[in-house]
Amino acid sequence: MTSKSFGGGQKILVVDDEHMSDLMRSVLRRLETDGFKPIVVAPEGPHLTGDDYETQALFSMEAERPSAILLDVRFGEYDSDRFKGLSILKKIVERDSSMPVLMFTQYTQGPYRDTAVNASLTVSASVDFIDKLASPEEVVLRLRRLIGSAPETIKIGSVFEIDAANAAVYVIENGRRDLIREIQGMKLEILNELAAAMYRSEGELVPFSRLERFSDGEDSRASLRVRIRELKVSLGKAVSREFGANELIINVRNRGYRLVNPTN
Amino acid sequence: MNDQSLKILKLFGLAIAGIGLLLILLSPFIGESLTPGSLWWIEPVAYIGSGVFVLGSVAAFIGFQVIARRTKALTGDRTRTWSEVTQDYFDTFAHDMGRPLRRILGKQREARALLNETGKVTPHMVAELLDEIENQAPNFRLMIENVRVLVDLEDDTAAPAIDPVDAAAIVRNVSDRYTPIARERGLELVWWSDPIEFGLIYGDGPALDHVITNLVDNAAKFAQGHVEIQLTRTDSDFFVRVWDDGAGIAESHLAHVFDRGWTPELSARSEKQSSGLGLFIAISLTERCGGQLMVESEAANVSGPDGHSTTFTLSLPLDNRPSER
Repeated sequence: MTSKSFGGGQKILVVDDEHMSDLMRSVLRRLETDGFKPIVVAPEGPHLTGDDYETQALFSMEAERPSAILLDVRFGEYDSDRFKGLSILKKIVERDSSMPVLMFTQYTQGPYRDTAVNASLTVSASVDFIDKLASPEEVVLRLRRLIGSAPETIKIGSVFEIDAANAAVYVIENGRRDLIREIQGMKLEILNELAAAMYRSEGELVPFSRLERFSDGEDSRASLRVRIRELKVSLGKAVSREFGANELIINVRNRGYRLVNPTN
Repeated sequence: MNDQSLKILKLFGLAIAGIGLLLILLSPFIGESLTPGSLWWIEPVAYIGSGVFVLGSVAAFIGFQVIARRTKALTGDRTRTWSEVTQDYFDTFAHDMGRPLRRILGKQREARALLNETGKVTPHMVAELLDEIENQAPNFRLMIENVRVLVDLEDDTAAPAIDPVDAAAIVRNVSDRYTPIARERGLELVWWSDPIEFGLIYGDGPALDHVITNLVDNAAKFAQGHVEIQLTRTDSDFFVRVWDDGAGIAESHLAHVFDRGWTPELSARSEKQSSGLGLFIAISLTERCGGQLMVESEAANVSGPDGHSTTFTLSLPLDNRPSER
């Protein structure tokens, strides 16, 4: 349905003793489909403890130089390893305080969250917490934001690609990229703004107040409406179709616009 | 009593207890040697032995206890508060409760991936079942979190955290969590912040996350087509407005929406869909953080066919840090 290849082969170190579980497998699969390269920390031995994972994780961090680390809190069922993840987190941050770490934890609140925060969160550390029950999509979204680097190009569905740096919009057909020449200037700025919001999160809309600076005239709202219509026509022409009111760029209850992936 | 005499008490007690034990063990032999051919003496020796043993044990025990307590006081190990104890139990409980759900959810996601790969058309019932399992997960997360916060709210001594918090990121996270659920229910969920670069606030991040989650969860239950989350600010406060186009709340019910355990179904005498805890928790947490939560609603039968809606507005100070002066 949606084709997002944002990862660009970035390595994600996965430190979780339950990496073979169905739940983690679905996360790993999602990482791969989104263009990341998950590297699973799997120490060998008969009776693994949290220490084994810690050693291996720190070793892999040096050896693989991942873009981010996905880390569980609990390792094994030993009570002593209940918060092993927190001590691993601490060691990771000590070694590289800029390493983005996404922690699987239910302790989003309460004293253990405080422990986690106090243990690790120096000013520059980029650590985020997410529930293990979160959907794989949510995990990847968070991870992407934590890594923080904006992609060079943003794809809209599998049809369009926006290259903000080179101020260009392409239509993709049978693996070929063709420039859409009509979309330039203000129209491109509007499209960029909408695509950036969509990239940040699916539900984010861009309010009129933000977009009106890309329009002129006495009635900026009306001129914005015209620009959006022209944008939809140009994009539509490139794929020989017409985008209706509830497709591609939607006016949400007169609050603002948002971009949605085109349906096939 | 000083440490030296405590140690002597402890050792003395242990020695006495040892003698008592020895007496009990040896009572058959000692007794027999005193009165050969008769077992009459065994019992008194055993009795005396037991008495001495108990006395010695008590002395040693007292010695141990006092020493242990003194060491504890010296090393600064304080007793854990009631809240910490309950939170500790709660964490174990939540983890163990989550285990079966994690397994079910994992299997469901694997099954879904497999079906996607093979490209087979999934029967409607199967697809519905898979969606239901996936969508109950956030419900479970919210429920566990609600109970945790409820326990936490009982602790009067607990104060809200005050940290730099990215409010827009919190709204975005909640939106991400509820977008698939909204889509499943045929709703459009959108959010925006004004200004787009919203900046940091000083407050309790987890509490803010939890209040917004409860408001959005509530809105997604009753909306008929749209849910909106809007983040705005003035010079001193920020506002989170959660809007839905549901049937609205009748004026007579408005006063009760924040009551603990109140649900709209309760008044309609039908099966309960929710615990009625969400909004109660939302307002309790908000007030603890020094904010306000207000509700406005236009019920369906009052203002025509499409004028109905409900808005919850959360307002909190931008900077909750105590002033320097």
